[in-house]
Amino acid sequence: MSKSQYVRANYQVNATPQLKMLSDDQCESILNGALEVLERTGAEIHSQEALDVFKKGGCWVDGNMVRFPSHIVEWAIRNAPSRIVISNQKGERTLFLEGQNVYYGPGPTNTYTIDPFTGERRRPRKADTVRAAKVIDALPNISYAMDCGTVMDVTPTLSDVHAFQAMLENTNKPIIHWGFGIDQYQDIIDMAAVVAGGLEALQQNPFILLYSESSPPLRHSVEAIDKAIFAAKNNIPIVYTPCTFAGGVAPATMAATLVIAVADSLVGLVAGQLVRKGSGFVMGGLISTMDMASTILSYGAAELSLLSAGLTAVARYMKIPMFSTGGCTDSKVIDTQMGLEAAFSILIAGLSGANLIHDCSYMEYGATSSLELMTMDDEIIGMVKRILQGVEVDDEHLALDVINKVGPGGHYLAEDHTMKHFWGFWAPTLINRLRYDGWKAEGSKPMAQRVKEKTQDIINNHKPEPKSESVLAEIQAIVDRAEAREANKR
Amino acid sequence: MPVKSNYAENASPMFRILSPRQCEEILLAAQEVLERTGVTVYDEEARDTLKKAGCWVDDILVRIPSAVVDRALRSVPKRVTLCNSRTGSRDVRLEGYNAYFGTGSDTPFTIDPYTGKRQRSTKQSVSNACKVIDALENLDFVMSLGIVQDVPLLISDRHQFEAQVLNTGKPIVTTAHDIYGFADIIEMCEIIAGGEEELRRNPFMTLYAEPISPLQHAWEAASKLILAAKKGLPVVYTPCVMAGGTVPATMAGVLTQGLAESLSGLVINQSTREGSPFIMGGVFTIMDMATTIFSYGSPEFNLLMSCLADLAHYLKIPMFGTAGCSDSNLVDEQAGIEGALSIAMTALSGPNLNHDVGYIEYGSTSSLEFLTINNDVIGMARRLVRGIQVNDETLALDLIHKIGPGGHFLCEDHTMKHFKTETYYPNLIDRQRYESWVETGSKTLFERANEKVKDIIENYEPDPLPKDIQQKIRGIVERSEQKIAK
Amino acid sequence: MSNYYEELTQSIISGQLDRVKSLTQQAIGAGNNPIDIINQGLIPGMSVVGARFKVGKMYVPEVLMSARAMDAGMQLVKPLILSEDIPSAGKIVIGTVKGDLHDIGKNLVSMMLESAGYTVINVGVDAGPEKFLQAVKEHQPGVIGMSALLTTTMLSMKDTIELLKEEGLRDKVKVIIGGAPISQDFADEIGADGFAPDAGSAADLCKKLLA
Repeated sequence: MSKSQYVRANYQVNATPQLKMLSDDQCESILNGALEVLERTGAEIHSQEALDVFKKGGCWVDGNMVRFPSHIVEWAIRNAPSRIVISNQKGERTLFLEGQNVYYGPGPTNTYTIDPFTGERRRPRKADTVRAAKVIDALPNISYAMDCGTVMDVTPTLSDVHAFQAMLENTNKPIIHWGFGIDQYQDIIDMAAVVAGGLEALQQNPFILLYSESSPPLRHSVEAIDKAIFAAKNNIPIVYTPCTFAGGVAPATMAATLVIAVADSLVGLVAGQLVRKGSGFVMGGLISTMDMASTILSYGAAELSLLSAGLTAVARYMKIPMFSTGGCTDSKVIDTQMGLEAAFSILIAGLSGANLIHDCSYMEYGATSSLELMTMDDEIIGMVKRILQGVEVDDEHLALDVINKVGPGGHYLAEDHTMKHFWGFWAPTLINRLRYDGWKAEGSKPMAQRVKEKTQDIINNHKPEPKSESVLAEIQAIVDRAEAREANKR
Repeated sequence: MPVKSNYAENASPMFRILSPRQCEEILLAAQEVLERTGVTVYDEEARDTLKKAGCWVDDILVRIPSAVVDRALRSVPKRVTLCNSRTGSRDVRLEGYNAYFGTGSDTPFTIDPYTGKRQRSTKQSVSNACKVIDALENLDFVMSLGIVQDVPLLISDRHQFEAQVLNTGKPIVTTAHDIYGFADIIEMCEIIAGGEEELRRNPFMTLYAEPISPLQHAWEAASKLILAAKKGLPVVYTPCVMAGGTVPATMAGVLTQGLAESLSGLVINQSTREGSPFIMGGVFTIMDMATTIFSYGSPEFNLLMSCLADLAHYLKIPMFGTAGCSDSNLVDEQAGIEGALSIAMTALSGPNLNHDVGYIEYGSTSSLEFLTINNDVIGMARRLVRGIQVNDETLALDLIHKIGPGGHFLCEDHTMKHFKTETYYPNLIDRQRYESWVETGSKTLFERANEKVKDIIENYEPDPLPKDIQQKIRGIVERSEQKIAK
Repeated sequence: MSNYYEELTQSIISGQLDRVKSLTQQAIGAGNNPIDIINQGLIPGMSVVGARFKVGKMYVPEVLMSARAMDAGMQLVKPLILSEDIPSAGKIVIGTVKGDLHDIGKNLVSMMLESAGYTVINVGVDAGPEKFLQAVKEHQPGVIGMSALLTTTMLSMKDTIELLKEEGLRDKVKVIIGGAPISQDFADEIGADGFAPDAGSAADLCKKLLA
């Protein structure tokens, strides 16, 4: 456009959509509520090592009850890094957990899985995590791996170690992984160090995040809190994630549910910071509501999205990276409910700006893992990412000259401007926009069928970039070592 | 309890896409389009009105100086209220960020809930649809969810309106073939309301009209805008534009031209009578370049809808939005995804009168099951938008202290008091445990929705209109049939 | 003058604790048989509540409000009856297994059982086989219920069953299990007598096993 050479002053642009669930003042209220709970009510700690750490750090320890003076918690919040960069397994820095960058991935430890070939709902096997890792590796909008089910055809106490091996062998994406206890965590770090080229390389450029779950309200098992301490000692970032649900382990009000979740996360944070100031900490939260008819912890409720966005706002207020939830469902079958619940939570989690959004594979309120759901979620995430890109408003995009050229009653199909810009339209792969007759001619498939075909195709044909024989052998040796240790324990 | 000062809270989530300055930029661009490029108007009375208002008319091309648009923006009411035709209750207040949801209108096809077959919509299918809408608690207004095709086509709009108004008391957004159809429908409404003035004061219907993109106002559309203004009745004017087809491929270009089309409609309406109630519409989306459909489910569709809502709020004009619809040819996972994304975005953005809930097949077919499913999704979205209340009662620090580490909150009065209002309980979405779900027949959401639809059709009775009024309406329909018979 | 039973039943259903207390007091004052107050006033109320919960007409907090009201009534009546005459559907020992601190599910089951008229002995969390054994010896329950949330801890359920066998007590008590990772297959595999997927069906299961 031949406008004059204007310069715009005082011109503020929303480069992306803006969602703000809570005001800063409300975030401060939630945080103050959590600080008050920690200082007054305190938390129950079931680990002697952790009790010693807290006592030495100035917390008030009485038996296994620990109360936390606010200044110590605030000190820990100040010292936690506001950004953590996670690499892929080739050492390339890929996940920038900072600001409001958003990455999606699947979830861990389901007790069932749906076989994408037979449709059977059954206990997960190591081969299922192999399949999961391949699917994760192939899907562009899935940014990191989790195990997609507790492997049950191996030594039970080494399910975590075997699942980690299966993931290392079948994807090069970053991994967030849990462990039963400290021994297994050591195995996992050792394996990761092999891939990264040494422990120091792993610490400087981590491709793993450890994962620990506490049991709200305000109760931290040996395994949970010791893992936070272990991660800090080894200088590997950890996701500390209480699983808080309104009405059950927290009051029925949303604000109080946030208070419990924040307080429980902060217990893990304080432990880590007291062990090593500045150690990497990602605040968790599976947070939702308890369905008072069935007593499930709902993975599809509007409150999951509402609370997760609220918790993300508080994390952002504290400048601590956030681990949130989306892409999951209470449905037991691949149906419309699955689609709508997954879409709802993926959208709101994305708009909320949480850094890591997990459980894009959870169906049946988290009991069952579905690779087909993950494939479907990959498509939904694509749509949501297009929404997150927002709208550009400038002369090129306003296109007044093109509008004037086409004029009333014309069309834009043959314009250079259209040619240049229509590539920006999000291109569906599983979403179908065929006209009715064309769709019928192609077999009248529902989306579930297309999803199944794509998932099967990935499992059958995707070849992740392999690791060297020597790396694989070293990993196997660590697994063997773990097996020998567990055999001795029995 | 401490007294707070200087405390700002988000009583609901705060969401927007465009900054105020971006809104201004798009408004100015649209005014530039109207002043430079102009629109074509195929109705003589409209051209005369525009000329009198100060527009530059050259044959059918009308260019609109920015001052004329500014004047129309000043005179248009910021709020429009729609009522229930049975109770007179002023239920639908189109103002601010209030978001109401309703169906869409003229689909040629509908899915028969009994056979599952896609068939041409009929007077009976429209009647059934309106009953279902009337029964669903999250649906606020009605559009017909089908073109009545089993009556004489020329006057099918009268039959369509009769089917709607007999089966629901909720406000109706009505289409019509032309101003003669509109005149008959308005007459029906005046009978129900008890007079012309009564209808104007408490309207339970709004007219619907569309320009033709790019930048054209056909005779049907322009004359409807004028009729609505003369009658003092609200009118929805809604450009349906396809990025890359009838508008530029860039989102800002879509918004600019779409807004120019709306604003030129507004000028026709306001120039006829200043202060006429006007509802700005817009179904803005992409043309899918692989299949050439007008997409009702694309992410761009959602993005544009929210941007247009930002613009409407910036301009302070009530807005007609679109949500709860899908490109899928059946009610499957895709329909669920597209319905949920659009309803959530719409609820967050707050356009006022949101239609097309229940559309599948890119707007060609309606599904009562999809409508009923989306009733739950709207409930979810409304829960989200109610946000998080943060105060001493909801923070519950004393209760947390009382329960202490490792306890639970199930038996507390506080839980009993709050759990139903803090949590949304859906109707059809299943949260049973796996075993109970298997015991109750392992049904999919679609199957449960189908059962509910059939239950409503068979057992629900909407409030009837008085018998004498029903007869008078019948009389108008029959009069129109006799006219075309001649 | 009515004997208050119908009103008591209704007040239990609507969870009105104070109303139940005063009605029970009045019924006692009017000379009604305490056991009749329980059997014809209090328990019928909870039966309706249980049935309504099962078909989704009542929510958990409402059920628990009713249970709390019923308990308040029971407390007033109990001192008037010899303890062996207090109606009980049976005795149940319940706990979360070793290594597991998650107890909301177990507590919910225990409250549901109590409201169905069972006497529940709650052994808490982190309960190893010895703790269950000791409770069986001490209380001689009809059923023991074990809960686990973690796939690692669920393995300890089998240890408890084995220990009961070693002690020759396995035939004297029914064993039921529950929790997120538990299934009917797993119950069969470790030789438990039953599995309940949720708190509501746990009471039904006990009724079936003790019949």
